[in-house]
Amino acid sequence: MNKTASIIITTALVIGIGIMFLGNSGDNPNSGATESVQNVEIRDGVQYVTINAQGGYSPRISSAQANIPTKLIVKTNGTYDCSAALVIRSIGYQKILPQTGEEVIDLGIPQAGAVQGLCSMGMYNFSVNFN
Amino acid sequence: MNQKTYIFHVSGTHCPSCKIFIEDALNEQIGIKQASVNLKNETVSFETSLDESQHKLAEMLTEKIKRNGYSLSIEKKAKDRNDHAVIWQALPIGLGFLALFFLLQKSGILNLGIGGQITPVTSFVIGLIASVSSCLAIVGGLVLSLSAKISEDNVRDTKTFTLFHAGRLVSFAVLGGVLGAIGSAVGINFTLTAILGILASLVMLLLGLNLVGVFAKSKIALPSGLFNFFRKIEHKTFTPLVVGFATFFLPCGFTQSMQVSALSSGSFMSGFLIMFAFALGTLPMLALLSFGSASFAHGKYAPLFFKSAGIVVIGLGLFALFSGMAGLGIISPLFSI
Repeated sequence: MNKTASIIITTALVIGIGIMFLGNSGDNPNSGATESVQNVEIRDGVQYVTINAQGGYSPRISSAQANIPTKLIVKTNGTYDCSAALVIRSIGYQKILPQTGEEVIDLGIPQAGAVQGLCSMGMYNFSVNFN
Repeated sequence: MNQKTYIFHVSGTHCPSCKIFIEDALNEQIGIKQASVNLKNETVSFETSLDESQHKLAEMLTEKIKRNGYSLSIEKKAKDRNDHAVIWQALPIGLGFLALFFLLQKSGILNLGIGGQITPVTSFVIGLIASVSSCLAIVGGLVLSLSAKISEDNVRDTKTFTLFHAGRLVSFAVLGGVLGAIGSAVGINFTLTAILGILASLVMLLLGLNLVGVFAKSKIALPSGLFNFFRKIEHKTFTPLVVGFATFFLPCGFTQSMQVSALSSGSFMSGFLIMFAFALGTLPMLALLSFGSASFAHGKYAPLFFKSAGIVVIGLGLFALFSGMAGLGIISPLFSI
């Protein structure tokens, strides 16, 4: 193979992989970053934030109010991939979620800031911004 | 009969195991004794009672070892210019495979919801999916790097691979059975699996760089202790079994889910069957990786294969390393696929 051609292909592939990794938060409809999903609701003075876990978490980024009691609901639906193995470092939570169901996680009364959840291998994540 | 001592230049040596292999191969030859490879000078010396000319000897002996990528010559070969051409071919091939792999992950086809009760059949299907999922980055990357390395150094690779896969199947089944029998008593520690994952990714990076030839080119040899370790891996019967066993604990969401299913299955037999079927499902892909390496490694395109595999392994290793560190909370997640 010609060296120049090879350099061009290599560069194109590097850029392609780069876009896959870094350029995903804006234009991927599944990521939910640009979608305005109603995933936060307040019932009886408790704020519920709902996250779907299957092949990643959605929405990836949600906004919620700080300083009120908050519970995180993580829904699984036939989830066997890494997103079922949930870790939330800031509250010391780690659990393998049931394959199908809802897991309610008490976040207490969060301060302003972000709470981040990851799958155990670290390649899926979500964060809830409290403000 | 007069014994003569010859010294030849040998090309293709890059590791202590090559030394052992070449020495063994030459000593097998009738009429040749005390073959000894000097890795630093890339020479081999031996005593022979054969009456052939030097040229003839070099040719004859190259014939014996060229299948594994080594050759003997009287003159020191100009540093393989070929090497550069190969890396330029390997780079797009390796990156192409990486791009395909990540594209597959992003496409979402692998995120099928499988509902209902876990039976050995569903866990077999989940195993099939897992073997091409992001778990491939860690388990598959490790298998590919070890297999390519073993094929590069060792002739008895098929036996090693068979042992690895057998060890993996048996230990998944037995550990699954144990989980089923003792129920909820065992917590599978996330931090531990994350640390194992990081270790695996470091091994992949190291072997990947080695396969690409970074160490050989810059003449920076890896610490010999490490090489002795790999040599032990390659030459012992029980090591591939142990590595197969260890893959049970590597971080992989699918494996972890199946472990929980086995845990809650309630009996030794059902846990045993669930994990066995799961491991069986992952077998075709992993077997393809290891036995595929072996057949490429002995073929015409061996140098290209090793370098391409090295690039794939480095890419997967980096991915696994960053993910693992993010999982441990050391760095913030760089990406999400």
